[in-house]
Parts: sequence; C-alpha cells; structure tokens
Amino acid sequence: MNRVPVRAWVGLVLMVGLGGLSLVAGRLFPETLSNTCPLGWDLNRPDRSVCELAFGGLWVSLAVGLAAGALSTVLGLAVAALARLSGGVTEQVLLRAVDAVFALPDVLVVMVLQLAGQSLLDAGMTRGLGPFGLMVTSLALVGWAGPARMFRDRLATLEGQEYVAAARALGGGGVHVLRVHLWPMLRPFVLAVFLSRLPNAILTESTVSFFGIARMEPMSLGRYLGTSYAALIYEGGGRVVIPAWGLLVLLVLGASLASQALGGGRRREV
Amino acid sequence: MRLIATRLVRQLVLVPVVAVASYFLMAALPLTTESDTKRQVSPELAASYRRDLGIGEPLGFLRPWQKLFAGERLGTSAQGITGDELLQKLSGSVGVGLVALPLALAWAVGFALLRTRWRRGRFAVFGDVLPAIAFGTPVFIPALLLAPAVVERGHLLPELCAAVVIAIWPGTFLGTLVGDALETELSRDYVRTALSKGLDPGTVLRRHVLPNVWPALLDAVTPVATALLAGSFAAERVFGLPYFGQLYVLAVLNKQVAVVVVSTTTFATVLVVVSLTVELLRMLADPRAREARA
Repeated sequence: MNRVPVRAWVGLVLMVGLGGLSLVAGRLFPETLSNTCPLGWDLNRPDRSVCELAFGGLWVSLAVGLAAGALSTVLGLAVAALARLSGGVTEQVLLRAVDAVFALPDVLVVMVLQLAGQSLLDAGMTRGLGPFGLMVTSLALVGWAGPARMFRDRLATLEGQEYVAAARALGGGGVHVLRVHLWPMLRPFVLAVFLSRLPNAILTESTVSFFGIARMEPMSLGRYLGTSYAALIYEGGGRVVIPAWGLLVLLVLGASLASQALGGGRRREV
Repeated sequence: MRLIATRLVRQLVLVPVVAVASYFLMAALPLTTESDTKRQVSPELAASYRRDLGIGEPLGFLRPWQKLFAGERLGTSAQGITGDELLQKLSGSVGVGLVALPLALAWAVGFALLRTRWRRGRFAVFGDVLPAIAFGTPVFIPALLLAPAVVERGHLLPELCAAVVIAIWPGTFLGTLVGDALETELSRDYVRTALSKGLDPGTVLRRHVLPNVWPALLDAVTPVATALLAGSFAAERVFGLPYFGQLYVLAVLNKQVAVVVVSTTTFATVLVVVSLTVELLRMLADPRAREARA
C-alpha cells in the first residue's frame, strides 16, 4: 500500500490549517482578531488592524489559488486527453498551441486578461462574474499549458505499458483505456500537478494585485501588500508588510511541500 | 541546420499569433457604454482609442504597427510612445535582465554545490528551506525591503538592486534543478572510477561531472529568462525605473490599448529570440543534443 509521505502531510496540514484558521478568524471572529493584534493598526487604514488585514487576506489568496489551480488542472487534463485520443496532426497542433501559451509569461498575460475582464465588468457584460471569478478565469487561462504538457507526457509513458497494449488488443477503445486503465494510474499525478499550480496561481495573483490592476474584494494578501508597501518608508513600517509576506511564504511552502512529496520530488515550474 | 530552421519557424509563428490575438482582444473591449453611470471613458476618448487601433478601417489590425514604423506616437495621452522610445525602454529592461542572468546562474551553481555538500550533514535542512522561502516570496517583497535604501536614501544603484532582486527566485529554481542533476551524476560509476584512480574530487567535478550537468542548466534557461523579464516588471515599479515593465503596467492601468498590443508582441518577440539563442547554445554545448537531432 502506498503511504502518503510525511512532507506531504506537513504541507497539507500547513495549508489547510492556515486557510481554515484565516477563514474562521477573518470572517467569523474579526473583532477578536482586531482587538488582540500585537502589530497595531494599519497606517493606510487606521480603522483596521494589521492582523485583520493580513490574516483576513490569507483565505482569499488560498481560495483564488485552489480555484485557479483546479480549473487549470482540469483544462490541462482535457487538452492532454484530447491530444492523446486524437493523435497525429491534431496532437501536434495541440502541442504547438500548448508550447505557445507556455512560452508567454503568466503575469503579463494575466494583466491583459484583467484589463479586458474589468472593462467587461464595468460595462456589465460579465454575466455575474465578479473580480474573484475574473481572477480565477484569467489564471486558469494562462495556467493550463504546463499541466497539459505534463499530463500528455505522462499519458504517453503510461500507454507504453504492456497491460495497455493488451487492453487495446482485446478491443478496448481510446476512451475506455483512458477511463478504466490509465486514469487510476494518473490520479496521484493529477493531485500533485494541481498542488504545484497552487503556489504559482497565488504568486501571480499577488503580483498582479500588487500592480493595482486586479481589484480583489475582499482583499487578497497580494492586494494588501500592494496597497500597504508605502509603509516601509516609515520607521517600523516593516510590521505592516512582513506579517503578510510571512503568511504568503507559509502558504506557498505548504503547497510546495505537499506537491513535491506527492509528485516524487518535482519542483515548481517557472 | 534544418532543425534550427524548423525551430525558428515554429517559434516565429508565435509572434503574429500574439499580435493578432492581443489586437482583437483589445479591439473587442467595451471602452464606453450607453449608460453614463458605467462609462469608463468619454466618447471623444473612445473615438481616439478606435483611431489608435484602426477599428473599422480595412486591415485595421496593422494600424498600430503602421503608426509605430511611421514614427507616430501610439496611445492617447502622455503615456503614449514612439517606436524609438519603446526600443529605449526595452533595452533598459533587457539590460537589467542581462545583469540578472549571470547573477542567477552564479547563485544557481553555488547553491547546487552547497546543497550537494549539505546533503548528508546537519545543514541538509537548508537545502529544502531556502528554496521554499525563495519560491514563496514574490519579487516585489525583496524589492520593497530594499526600496527605502534605494529610492529614499539613494544609497544603492536601482538597476543593480533590481537585477539582484529578480535573480533570487530564478537562481534558486535553477539551483534546485542543477543540484538534482549533480546528485544523479555524482552517483554514477564513472565518478567512482575517476575517484578510485586517484583524481581529486575538484578535478572530477570540473572535468567530468559539470559538463554532464550543463545541459540540464541550459534546458531551464528559457523559462528562467522569461521569469527574469517578467520579474523586472515588479522591480521596475518599486524602484521607479522608467523601462519597459513600467511602461507596460501604466499602459494596462491607463487602458492604452494600442501600446498594450505593441508591447505584448514586442515582449513575445524578445522571448522567441531568447529561446532560439538558448537552443543554439544547447546544441553547441551538448554533443548529445547535436547527435540526437542529426
């Protein structure tokens, strides 16, 4: 029986624990968080404490990362499955499209997509998709290429095994082989890839929010840092920025540990 | 040579695809609406944007490029640019990226060697902790921490600080890759043979192991170069450097759509050039790559 590595547990507990704690404290008991905060009040928003803003933004960042990671993993998986099922020229064309999207830098494309999305939002043409949905969609639209490439390579490797050849020889169709024989072997890898997308999505969202382009409400950690960094020029201003940074590092550390442990030591992609 | 040409064609296709896709995305933006309450720009400004993008003209998608090559100003405000200014700003960002690349490579090789040395010692934990901190830190955080010294007090050179800041994450990423490749190579038979014949470990590393590790390093340089250029956007913003990243962010914030179209395509072109250069280097440095493709 395969055991889940300790590092994966540490990562998952760190991530879920921080997210859960942030959600409970930030949403259910915000007053407790603001009254007991040892870091004092935020310089730009004198009615809110640093803990309230930093800790309150954590679950927003995590939710964006989870949703965007899940969506990009599903998109990547669908493209990879389509490529393998089609084969031939279609697979080559899909792979070239994957390479083209993968070559573009996430931050730059997300900025353009946010500009487009916000213009549609302002014009009331997003059909209920708010800033959260826009951010998740933008991140998924740039983030599917990496998973697609990895899933396609993994599927190609798995298909080379004898039991798959036997299933095909017995008349198993492409979809049947994929669903019954390949999917059980692919599942742990899908989980690892999903977790590896999480830090990437969180950091991209943070950077775009920092530029002031994204309008995440409630504020994510990135947007909080992006609107509070001016505090650093004042003496003792580090108390405003460093807690949010620390939380961001812990969140990404949890996701990276879990992903690396489950994926057999794979590193985060650029 | 044929393979390089194939690669060149494949990569170059990306540039017009990006140009056309970004044009039609920008052209489709609802820059003004019927309702006054939801209006983002005035009708005059919207008409100006349309002229800038060539919307409604035959072959309108070529309009931003015509303006650029004719030396006209792109954009509808002071944030607009001419082709010369764009090149000047791009060279600034590429310059910062070029300073950052050797810094990242040096940090990567140094970190990989340290990680290999720490592997079984009491410092082994640093091999995991350092990458985790680097991977969990967006570029703007170290830039913000350095900002008071650079911007307020003027103690340090902003371009150099930007290069140092943006080299941290790619350097660590490369370092982990090279470290993994180094560990694999060090466990191979030829290393044991060389050591048992009396060669000192430094010579074995330099003459036998590192040449086998370079390909892994080169494979990762393209995504790292992309990360360096994208990272320079955040560093330029914090340090107030008036280069390409700053121009791009301001163009997006001010909805300078023609500038966004041209800048996105220019950036894609730079990435194609970087990718092809790395491909050539890979073929020069790794005989196996040449043989595999012959």
